[in-house]
Amino acid sequence: MDRRTVLKGLAGAGGLALTGLSAPAIAQGAAARTLRFVPQANLANFDPIWGTQYVVRNAAALVWDTLYGIDAQLQPQRQMIESEETSDDGKIWTFKLRPGLKFHDGEPVLSKDVVASLSRWAARDPMGLMIIAIQQELTAVDDRTFKWVLKQPFPKMLYALAKNNAPCSFIMPERIAKTDPFKQITEYVGSGPMKFAKSEWVPGAKSVFEKFADYVPRQEKASWLAGGKQILVDRVEWLVMPDPATAAAALQNGEVDWWENPIADLVPVLKKNKNISVDIGDPLGNIGSFRMNHLFAPFNDVRARRAVLMALSQEDYMRAIVGDDDKLWKPLPGFFTPDTPLYSELGGEILKGKRDLDAAKKLLAESGYSGQPVTCLVAQDQPITKAQGDVTADLLKQLGMNVDFVATDWGTVGSRRAAKTPPGQGGWNMFHSWHAGADCITPAAYTAIRANGDKAWFGWPNSPNTEKEITAWFEAKSLDEEKAAIGRVNKAALDDVVYAPTGFFLTYTAWRKNVSGIAKGPLPFFWGVSKSA
Amino acid sequence: MLSFILRRIVATLPVMAIVALFVFSLLYIAPGDPAVVIAGDQASPEDVERIRQSLGLDRPFLIQFGSWVWRILHGDLGTSIFTNLPVSAMIGQRLGPTLSLMMVTLLLTIVVAVPLGVVAAWKAGSLIDRAIMAFAVFGFSLPVFVVGYMLAYIFALELEWLPVQGYTPLNQGFWPWLENLILPSVALGCVYIALVARITRAAMLEVLQQDYIRTARAKGLGQGGILFIHALKNAAVPIVTVIGIGIALLIGGAVVTESVFAIPGLGRLTIDAILRRDYPVIQGIVLLFSFVYVLVNLMIDVIYTLVDPRIRY
Repeated sequence: MDRRTVLKGLAGAGGLALTGLSAPAIAQGAAARTLRFVPQANLANFDPIWGTQYVVRNAAALVWDTLYGIDAQLQPQRQMIESEETSDDGKIWTFKLRPGLKFHDGEPVLSKDVVASLSRWAARDPMGLMIIAIQQELTAVDDRTFKWVLKQPFPKMLYALAKNNAPCSFIMPERIAKTDPFKQITEYVGSGPMKFAKSEWVPGAKSVFEKFADYVPRQEKASWLAGGKQILVDRVEWLVMPDPATAAAALQNGEVDWWENPIADLVPVLKKNKNISVDIGDPLGNIGSFRMNHLFAPFNDVRARRAVLMALSQEDYMRAIVGDDDKLWKPLPGFFTPDTPLYSELGGEILKGKRDLDAAKKLLAESGYSGQPVTCLVAQDQPITKAQGDVTADLLKQLGMNVDFVATDWGTVGSRRAAKTPPGQGGWNMFHSWHAGADCITPAAYTAIRANGDKAWFGWPNSPNTEKEITAWFEAKSLDEEKAAIGRVNKAALDDVVYAPTGFFLTYTAWRKNVSGIAKGPLPFFWGVSKSA
Repeated sequence: MLSFILRRIVATLPVMAIVALFVFSLLYIAPGDPAVVIAGDQASPEDVERIRQSLGLDRPFLIQFGSWVWRILHGDLGTSIFTNLPVSAMIGQRLGPTLSLMMVTLLLTIVVAVPLGVVAAWKAGSLIDRAIMAFAVFGFSLPVFVVGYMLAYIFALELEWLPVQGYTPLNQGFWPWLENLILPSVALGCVYIALVARITRAAMLEVLQQDYIRTARAKGLGQGGILFIHALKNAAVPIVTVIGIGIALLIGGAVVTESVFAIPGLGRLTIDAILRRDYPVIQGIVLLFSFVYVLVNLMIDVIYTLVDPRIRY
């Protein structure tokens, strides 16, 4: 018996005498059937189509199922679907649902639910919008069959339905899915392996998921969002901990079982604890970035943008983010996720080799830069953006630029970056961000790589060559064609400096050793995870 | 007295109205946009604009303010932009942990700080007095989060006596409730204990030099009776004042303490709401805090009349 148990017993006896209230007896087995998890962020809302934050997507993957799921080989696999057929001309897709699928309220999953869900998803998803643009009709044929008729072929259909990038095409009951995609749903009924316990939800602090007894997993082995999603615990509790030191202490103390994203500074402490395992969580990692505003001087001139690329040291950025752990980062002479099938370094020479500050200064002068302030937005409340901002400020000063360093919070950066006014009138010249590697495998969900001017992401790059090659990727019919197209996208985007990649970095995840079955992947997967007492 | 209390409650209404207008205006002009946070990093500007429209954030200031006031007058604090839950329900959910934390801290403070201040005054100039005052300076100088981390390290990680984080409602047992509150209350209470101990000492020193204390001593009254019956009652007004004002300190300190110990209270809700620009939640909480301040001041005034019969309203 440890000291805490003795103290608890003594004080508990005193407390009982004082209040007459009794503490619930928590059996050892019950504790083992509850997995306590510290997520990367606060689950503040729970509509995976309305809000596209990663944390919402991660929680939604427990509650809502998808028609297809992406597996660890990045291939779409059937999930709720039993079979699919494509017409010879590639314009008609006919899908059939697996039998026996049920929602958490006991109702069967029908084609009409799927049609409503896909319609809501497609209105918010970049790939969904592409499908809508060529859609003729999306209809339920019978209870288990539905048909998507297009005006022209869309070879990436299954990838669109399987992808793990937010928003995923989660299937909801028709009555819920008919909600305006720009308004929030209020019922959280899915057909996934766990039910959301809304009555126990304390937004910002705690979310509880309970095993759905009627879920019928697929027979295949689980692989990321595909295969048999076997839930081996009764409850999963998400406990939000805004303070990393507290999360680390709670994990060491056994008050939580799994911490999704331990910060690099605390990893050495966790590694020393014999009860804790630490490993890379998501092998697809993240891509650091800063974006330059292509609308205004100096970065409306490609020479100024290229000067920055010539001078920046990705090692400086990465060390600022992850510290001295060399396993956590690698240089990235391009825009796509390393170690994935389409990865390319074509055109990446400008980011490789010794940094040439003198040549960069010369090129910057040729661009016509004459000392005007460069407004650099940096969110100080996010360690990754803050670290990158500090490095950029130093870089720009070395280049002889006049930096107007705006240290603020993410809420402010998030809204100010949308301003197309000149930097001196509430606009900006650059801001920092990062992208999940899972979003950067192909151009499908990679908003940051788009370079279609006004329609592009913040910074509004206009690079017709990049856009032409992105279209080529969408139309590619074989892996070789896709690879070739991605190489050309990489080169064109670097030539025109769509944005500045600051390197590729990984993060750790940590769990108690009595927990097993944690798989590496772009989101935390709870199927196959068990816990012993 | 009753009419005084009623008058004071009525007088709170204009104060609350001014606070409401001030807070609403401040949030309106502050940079940041909840629609951006909701839409996520990959959203297009068009998506963000559609979300702004659906939340009514594109409407003119006066219309937004008018509609908010109208709802407040009907007892409705509105709905959170993010959770889609009623603000009153969210505040209700978070009130228990914060009240528990404040209550335990307040109790701890009164039990520890007042006797310390009395003893320091009684032994003025002695080693005990200097030790107590040194402790007070120490407690006042250390930031809450530093004390919090130290306590968590010693009592949770090293000794394994208490949990690091979390909150258990009282209806799940007294000890589970208390064990989660001990470390945060001590961390939060350090500053507060130091402040009350110093004020108690100063007030007692002044009272102990009065003629009636000398008379009590001459009559042969024991030291305990002199200190805790005669002197403390007459020194109570400044002590009550500082305890009351300290509740404001507690609310501020709770924001940090709740983050350090992962307590799902109003402090954390406030920070989360500010970072996300969840306007209805921020407005609801500020209104509630303003009301608490006004109420605490009222209670202090009432307690004055109880401890000092010369005070009348």
